[in-house]
Amino acid sequence: MNWKKLRIAVLTILVLCLIPATRYYQIDLPLLRFLQGSRRVNPLSLHLSGEFVENNLGTELQSDGSVIVRMIAEQYLFVPHCIVVPEGIPVHLRITSADAVHSLALSGTDYNVKVLPGIISEARLQFANPGEYKTKCGEFCGAGHYAMRSEFKVVPLDRFPALRAGGRATCDVQ
Amino acid sequence: MTCNSRSFFSGKFLRFILAGVAASSLLVVANDTPPDRIPSYVEWTQHTIAAASSGDAFRGMLLAKRCEHCHGSEGFSPVASTPNLAGLDKLAIWKQLEDFRARKRISPVMGPIAESLTVHDVADVVAYYGALPVFSDPQDNRSFPQMRSNPDHASVASRLISFGDGSRGIPPCQACHGPVAYRPGAASLMNQNSEYVLNQLEAFANGSRANDINMPMRTISALLADNERHALAEFYGSGMGLDPNSSK
Repeated sequence: MNWKKLRIAVLTILVLCLIPATRYYQIDLPLLRFLQGSRRVNPLSLHLSGEFVENNLGTELQSDGSVIVRMIAEQYLFVPHCIVVPEGIPVHLRITSADAVHSLALSGTDYNVKVLPGIISEARLQFANPGEYKTKCGEFCGAGHYAMRSEFKVVPLDRFPALRAGGRATCDVQ
Repeated sequence: MTCNSRSFFSGKFLRFILAGVAASSLLVVANDTPPDRIPSYVEWTQHTIAAASSGDAFRGMLLAKRCEHCHGSEGFSPVASTPNLAGLDKLAIWKQLEDFRARKRISPVMGPIAESLTVHDVADVVAYYGALPVFSDPQDNRSFPQMRSNPDHASVASRLISFGDGSRGIPPCQACHGPVAYRPGAASLMNQNSEYVLNQLEAFANGSRANDINMPMRTISALLADNERHALAEFYGSGMGLDPNSSK
């Protein structure tokens, strides 16, 4: 057994294991950007084109029956401010920041999605029970940070508006 | 050559082209996704900020003669529904003029005026108004056309301005509109006319004004109650409670 080769192999595996951790912790931004190339977005021009233009935000029904939620975190708001999602259906959350570092934390849980400017953060959620789930910003982002709160309104499937694929639901529908 | 070109435009190839055109026109018809709703074409890049803050204030003063009729000779408007421009952040006025030019903020008065200005003119006018003193001349005993402020409202407003309302997710106004912090394009409201502030809050709430990038003001105005919008307008109109004379 060549110990030198083994040592190199072990170190390589350790480094490779560290790379996924950069998704959650801002260890190495250039490395993170390189690895997440396709998930990059210009935070200054979110409103001009692409996925996060304002008529594309909110809850959208996918063709496979799951739901995709697009949000912008900005100083000091989550936009849209209220998100309606059906109970028990997989929710694919896509969120990005327009300015500072934020995070979307679900109150009362340890769940926390880091939101960085320039990068689309993704999360897979599934709400087992209907109700109003309060969210807050979990990363100090400036003078209005503590008031940066919003909510997920989880409704039973029969109360969720009937949409065709690509349709959108807003909180004031019901 | 003639034989060759005839075969080119007849038979299978022509049918193929026709089928392709028909298919693409069908695709165009089937693609009924609405166009992107763009609130404003302004993008706060370094280039934009440099262009907006590179104006010549003296030339702006000459250009601003035509603004005086509504916005006042010192940038303090005699009409309550017209905004005061004195000492406003350059980027804030610049963005509004750009939005008027692009018809992203609709005003029958300001639309044609902004369209008649070139990019340089806009930067110059903005530099002039940005350089005007914020407080009006104390020798000048004009009474500003403000709403009568209600003392009950003052505490509601000052609370919203300093602290917001965390339980409803309303951030404090001063985190963007000063004096604590500013964000690009957010106007200082300290000397704004109360009726103008109220009109804009209501326009944001009902969506008739929709030129805020990433919808902060549309969201917040819709969360505010009617009496809170009135309270904020009165409080800002009275110089944030700092200058009791300005509310007479």
